[in-house]
Amino acid sequence: MIEYVGENIIAGQIGNFLIVLAFVSSILSMIFYLKSSDLSLELTSWKRLGRLFYRIHSVALLGLIGILFYLIYTHSFEYYYVWRHSSTDLHMRYIFSCFWEGQEGSTMLWAFWNVVLGNILIRTAKEWEGGVLSIFASVQAFHVAMLLGIYILDTQIGSNPFQLLREHSDMLSLPFVSNPNYLEFVEGNGLNPLLQNYWMVIHPPTLFFGFATTLIPFSYAITALRKREYRSWLKKALPWTYFSIAILGLGILMGGAWAYESLSFGGFWAWDPVENSSLIPWIVLIAAGHLMIINQGKSRSMFSTFVFSLAGFVFVIYSTYLTKSGILGETSVHSFADGLPGQLLVFLFFYLAVALFFLFKDGWRLIKKTEEEAFWSKEFWMFLATLVLVIAGFQIILSTSIPVINTIFGTDMAPAADPISHYNSWQIPLAVVITFLIGISQWLKYKSTKPSELFKNILPPLLISVLASIIMASILGMKTLFLIALMFTSFFAVFSNLHYLVKVFKGNVKKGGSTLAHIGFSLLILGSVLAFGNQKIISKNTTPVDIKFENDKDANKENIMMIKGDTVLMEPYFVTYNQRRIEDKYVYFDMDYLRLNSEGQYVKLFSLNPFVQLNEQMGNVPEPSTKHYWNRDIFTHITYADLENLDEASQEAYRDADTLNIALGDSIFISNSVIYIESLERNVDSTNHELLAGTPIGLGLNIKAKTLDGRNYEVMPLMIVDIDNNRIYSPWAEIEELGVRFNFATTSNMDKNKVELRVAEKNKNSGDFVIMQALVFPYINIVWIGCILMVLGTLIAVFNRFQILNSRKKLQSR
Amino acid sequence: MKKAHIIGIVIIAIAIGAIISTVSDAATYADFSKAEQLEGKEIQVVGVLNKEKDIIYNPKENANQFSFYMLDNNGMEKKVVFNGTKPQDFERSEQVVITGESKGEEFHANKILMKCPSKYNDGQPDGLTEITAESNS
Repeated sequence: MIEYVGENIIAGQIGNFLIVLAFVSSILSMIFYLKSSDLSLELTSWKRLGRLFYRIHSVALLGLIGILFYLIYTHSFEYYYVWRHSSTDLHMRYIFSCFWEGQEGSTMLWAFWNVVLGNILIRTAKEWEGGVLSIFASVQAFHVAMLLGIYILDTQIGSNPFQLLREHSDMLSLPFVSNPNYLEFVEGNGLNPLLQNYWMVIHPPTLFFGFATTLIPFSYAITALRKREYRSWLKKALPWTYFSIAILGLGILMGGAWAYESLSFGGFWAWDPVENSSLIPWIVLIAAGHLMIINQGKSRSMFSTFVFSLAGFVFVIYSTYLTKSGILGETSVHSFADGLPGQLLVFLFFYLAVALFFLFKDGWRLIKKTEEEAFWSKEFWMFLATLVLVIAGFQIILSTSIPVINTIFGTDMAPAADPISHYNSWQIPLAVVITFLIGISQWLKYKSTKPSELFKNILPPLLISVLASIIMASILGMKTLFLIALMFTSFFAVFSNLHYLVKVFKGNVKKGGSTLAHIGFSLLILGSVLAFGNQKIISKNTTPVDIKFENDKDANKENIMMIKGDTVLMEPYFVTYNQRRIEDKYVYFDMDYLRLNSEGQYVKLFSLNPFVQLNEQMGNVPEPSTKHYWNRDIFTHITYADLENLDEASQEAYRDADTLNIALGDSIFISNSVIYIESLERNVDSTNHELLAGTPIGLGLNIKAKTLDGRNYEVMPLMIVDIDNNRIYSPWAEIEELGVRFNFATTSNMDKNKVELRVAEKNKNSGDFVIMQALVFPYINIVWIGCILMVLGTLIAVFNRFQILNSRKKLQSR
Repeated sequence: MKKAHIIGIVIIAIAIGAIISTVSDAATYADFSKAEQLEGKEIQVVGVLNKEKDIIYNPKENANQFSFYMLDNNGMEKKVVFNGTKPQDFERSEQVVITGESKGEEFHANKILMKCPSKYNDGQPDGLTEITAESNS
């Protein structure tokens, strides 16, 4: 038995105890809550027990999270999770990112939000508490089971965040395991540099909060089916569904903002499978929310309402499965494969089965023939819009699930080679329809509307949108028909809703939350069309090198090489690569954007500093830099930089020499100057050259160098023929200021006016170049304004609904 | 016919359209020999970088072209030409997925996806091997 020094074993033991406690209490809570809601009347004593165990579970889970944070904070590398995801040199502001980088931490984050929401629902769900909380408790049992880390019949159940490093299966054979003092030299593996970013501190918790909220409509829907109360659940679930839409939407959009600000693909949305898989539950919930509103007054499509309310959460688990199981494999750069695919599948199929069971046990009764809705009714058009939304979601999920389809059917499909155009070819036409419907449906009334009234109301926004579209299309030189159409319909949606907000709500934003949300959504689409549909690459390759590709689509001429000091025209700017700065593990590249003034001088407008985060272990990560103007962004990123020889010593070292066969009077170009080969000097004055002292024969070459800014240098390499010792040699002659040196190739035959000259430059002369890309995104701020308004508007509407719900209750209780 | 029926038919038509488009837009996974047979067709090939051979990238001549040798999963080697900059840390890649088409002796790629060993959590604990070397001394 080895006595290990410095290990903090007790913390892990408490942690493991809390895992077991959280697991057992969640199961007990589920059982008691189920009991309490089993019968038609809620039994308070069972309910009280269920509540008690949910609270015990909550305390255990919070304790668990606290311990893991403490261990990361104290750099307790004796724990595998801490070692794997953090290191001592890591800034403490990234401690959160360390926490949720791994599967275990992100599971705990999700479970944390369920604890928060569950405790709110204990207070607010009233007669629905038993049913809703029993589902919450069951989900928590699944989550905590992911942390158990035990083996049952050779099957691993969960992965324990408190596993010791020296006991981890990857480490068992390594020699440090038998060293009692191993903690003295073990250093953490560190955090993935991609996550060392402030967006990665706020994006995951928001997204997981969104994931957790989707459980609320699910739980209400299941409970309603169990109780056969097919209508009364709507007013409870509706505000929560929109809350979920707001938070999940915010989380997804934050991911887009992170991609735009910090990733280098130059965009907001790339239709990456991981992005898509979180978008689908959002679309499904929007469909559910709108169906709830349609069904509020009168049951029309209650079955679909149940289907979509249940599907939101099921798709969230599906999304987790896609991301964590590794099934996406080579189709996504986002995917990571440390999850527990089997366990995730059980999780997925369990809730899918629960949903299907209750839907078909009683829910089918809800499918019944109802009278047709009037053509000019709000319900009809909202239903239509919901269907279009569902089609959009269906197309996304189908294409995203290709790896899953391959696994099930044994097919060999690869995802579309150009995903962006594949998805856009579907989503842009569908978005045209959706934005158009958003534009008109506000003006429609429930039951029926007078068509003449509708046309009178939408005519002004229609005219303004035509005008705005013509102006924007001519400013930006837009040619793609579908993009122009989408621009027009989103303009229309914005103006029509704005008109509605002013005319009907008299600008009262508090009442018009949903109108505001629709304006936000339409602005988001409009901004995307303007910014990403009209992005312009200004870093066009201007080198004379011909790229010999027959196919034009292959010719990627988007990158440009810049040597330090170069000034290159990138319409409408001149761009100079000013300098490279190394700060800690970041290499910054200062790119100055200039403009010519009327006197023909360069004036610096701004400087962008894209950088590369050095990380020897996990690979260097480049990060772009963007100048934000009110009407456009100038996005710049480094696609390639020579990151070797960054330290001073290797910068000062000379590279291998080139041998040139050159005639006297010729000139050559080196990286920073022109070299003139003037003449041979046959009578070298040996008194001035200590090397030559005492040697009979020396030959010199007069070399002049002229820099681009007009400085002149001279140097004279020598060939020394040492007859006494029977050898010929040629020492280096250096121009220190230019970092260049010359000598003779000693094997050369001396011609009358030709020499073989060797030239070598320092690493720093040419190492300092970058390949960069610069893009202009016009009117991208509309995207961000749209995002903010959409989330804000939805939250205002949610707040209003909760208030109405509360005031109604107060009235009832009187 | 009722409105509901018309809508239903339109929706089913669009859904079938989506399925067809997904299947027809899907590229095919293949190895190099199959890619040669299907010259000119868009193919995805999964394989590894041949680290023995040169990775040719001369940014000063043309920043937008680089080429390397890749072995597919059957061990067949082919020169791959990519019109774009060399991805950072390309040499460290563990697995490469290229999309493009076969043209004569070369494979012209328009997209490269690479997986680095420890960027995404799987892989061996390469950080600790260094530490253990220290503990032995």
